[in-house]
Amino acid sequence: MRTRLAGLALSSAVLTVLAGCGLSDTDSSDEQVTTTGEIKGTVTLQTWALKPKFTDYMQGVIDGFEEKYPGTTVEWLDQPGEGYSEKVLSQAASGQLPDVTNLPPDFALPLAEQGLLLDVDQADDKLRDEYVDGAVASYEFAGQTGVYGYPWYLNTDVNYWNSELLSQYGLDVTKLPTTVEELVAQARIVKEKSDGKIHLMSRKPGVEDLTQAGVDILSSDGKKFVFNTPEAVAVLDTYRDAFAEGLLPRNVLTDAYLGNMELFKKQQVAWTTGGGNSINDIKVDNPTLAEKVVASPTIGTPPLYTQGLSVSKRSENLPTAIALARWVTSPENQAAFAEVVPGIFPSTIASAEDPQFSVSDGSNVGDAKKIAFTSLAEAQMLKPVVVDQAMDDFIKQQFSLAISGEITSKEALDKAVDKCNELLND
Amino acid sequence: MKTQRWFTPWLLLGPAVVWLLVFNLWPAINTVVLAFTNAKPLGGGSFTGLANFERMLNDEQLVYALVNSIVYMLVCLPLLLFLPLLLAVLLEKKLPGITFFRTAFYTPVIASAVVVALIWTWLLEDRGLVNGLAQQLGFITEPLPFLSGRWLLLFSAISLTVWKGLGYYMIIYLSALGNVSRQLHEAAAVDGAGSVRRFWSVTVPGVRTTMLLVSVLITVSALRVFTELFVLTNGTGGPGGRDMSVVMLIQMYSRGFTGHLGYASALSLLLFVITVGPMLLLLRLNRKAA
Repeated sequence: MRTRLAGLALSSAVLTVLAGCGLSDTDSSDEQVTTTGEIKGTVTLQTWALKPKFTDYMQGVIDGFEEKYPGTTVEWLDQPGEGYSEKVLSQAASGQLPDVTNLPPDFALPLAEQGLLLDVDQADDKLRDEYVDGAVASYEFAGQTGVYGYPWYLNTDVNYWNSELLSQYGLDVTKLPTTVEELVAQARIVKEKSDGKIHLMSRKPGVEDLTQAGVDILSSDGKKFVFNTPEAVAVLDTYRDAFAEGLLPRNVLTDAYLGNMELFKKQQVAWTTGGGNSINDIKVDNPTLAEKVVASPTIGTPPLYTQGLSVSKRSENLPTAIALARWVTSPENQAAFAEVVPGIFPSTIASAEDPQFSVSDGSNVGDAKKIAFTSLAEAQMLKPVVVDQAMDDFIKQQFSLAISGEITSKEALDKAVDKCNELLND
Repeated sequence: MKTQRWFTPWLLLGPAVVWLLVFNLWPAINTVVLAFTNAKPLGGGSFTGLANFERMLNDEQLVYALVNSIVYMLVCLPLLLFLPLLLAVLLEKKLPGITFFRTAFYTPVIASAVVVALIWTWLLEDRGLVNGLAQQLGFITEPLPFLSGRWLLLFSAISLTVWKGLGYYMIIYLSALGNVSRQLHEAAAVDGAGSVRRFWSVTVPGVRTTMLLVSVLITVSALRVFTELFVLTNGTGGPGGRDMSVVMLIQMYSRGFTGHLGYASALSLLLFVITVGPMLLLLRLNRKAA
């Protein structure tokens, strides 16, 4: 009996301790932290999939920092691309977030909400003077006061066209579509002349397309989704009609991100969107196609993709961590990075006049780079960071149903808004 | 001389018990706890009572996921229960070169589910081999929507599961067939029973216990299907998410920094219940039959 009781007591004790951990809350206190002081000591820097391709560049940047600030040591951690979010999540949950971490805005938001990231606006007077507004705004979140990351490199989308297919099916490469309506009209010509074998359009709309059409996704206070408007209905209706006409391949309904680029590389579609350096990827996968590619500005407002460096609020060496984040995102280091990675652009105001971005060498790679860089001036984050994965999945599912004609566009939008609001308030 | 104290077994069992509690029991208990909260991956969840379960009642996606998972199970179960048995009966014969066929049928089992699903995607897409051949031969004029039709997609995934599972269950049946009495077969043959009659009257009763085991394995794996549907639909669960399974739905809610862990845990509990239900039923049926 005594043995049984002891066993029960042991089990209960372990279970009680473990169950207690179930809802343990991450500390979200608003404690004040010291951000000024001597720049020395050891800090950790975590990047996202830069090794081994950009090891030399990053090591050079780190060496430069240690040289500029004697007595500092940077421990560089580079995480693989796959599973990066899970890695950061486990680091944050276990209190092991590196001092400086590469976090895009959607990754930074939940960490900022939990009080794990430093408000760099408060810690750094010059932030807004030195970085472009749109990039800084990427790290400002509704319901939060402050900026939770130094913008690092930026990107946007441009249009890529297969000039050979366009000419073959009666389109003029000098008169590329600049509106969705023109795109649909040209898609009709391609479909008819290719007997349905080639498509021009190959993606279904997402939240981004609603923003481009002038639809507000969130209410002004950021507390409610409001994108079920007549303008949004019109966007979905346009795609639904195009789908019914056979102007889009059927698999757009189950397509994942970059599906259109894959079809473009296979020369099954004549148009895709991609980043400023996508021609380089096309060159690797289909070198003969790359020569025929023509770039043009994106239709509507260009999207803004931001990468940034966030500083952990729990860093034991905040002055050095801030200095490191600033150093990595400085105009000089960003310009050098953009040279190593064609198609990405610096987030600093000082880089605006740099001819390496604003002047094309006449090649289609140079043209795409110039178009992307010029587009950045008006680029916006088209999908609010508060739209999480589950919301985005649900929205895409409803849009698929609307485009396939199973439900009306209004029904799809209403359902999507209801579900997103439910998840937002979860 | 007394050398053993009351706590000696506990000392010996201790590490294993702790391991069991931490890595087996704890995640299960934690899932139950989370199902009654609105927890997020970074913590901060609060107790919400039965709210997650109430939400299930109005969740249209859950209805699709449940219907798909159950259809998956109902179609896979008979096919994978009898086709591998027939295959095993055929391959049981000691003929020259039979090992080659046994290995050939087992090959899909060894292959990664993701790789197999990707190969099937290429076969079944609009411009894939199957549609291409069918159009060339004039059977169809338009490609069949294997990967974008509501039910056709589900049945494409079921076909993949059956094709991949045949070899696995065949091996289980092959070992069971070795225990079926040869004398009974001979006696039945002497009595004039044909091969079909002998199959139903001698072979099937002889492997009944194995069939029960196979039924349980098929039921559990069919209700937990993920990879086939995920890869064939590029992770979208089919047009409008109407071909997703319960596991895909759980995955959809639990992903990323803002994962809705509370609801995902409640869905996990539901899946656990609907998985255990058919298993208990099968065991009960077997006990009755015995």
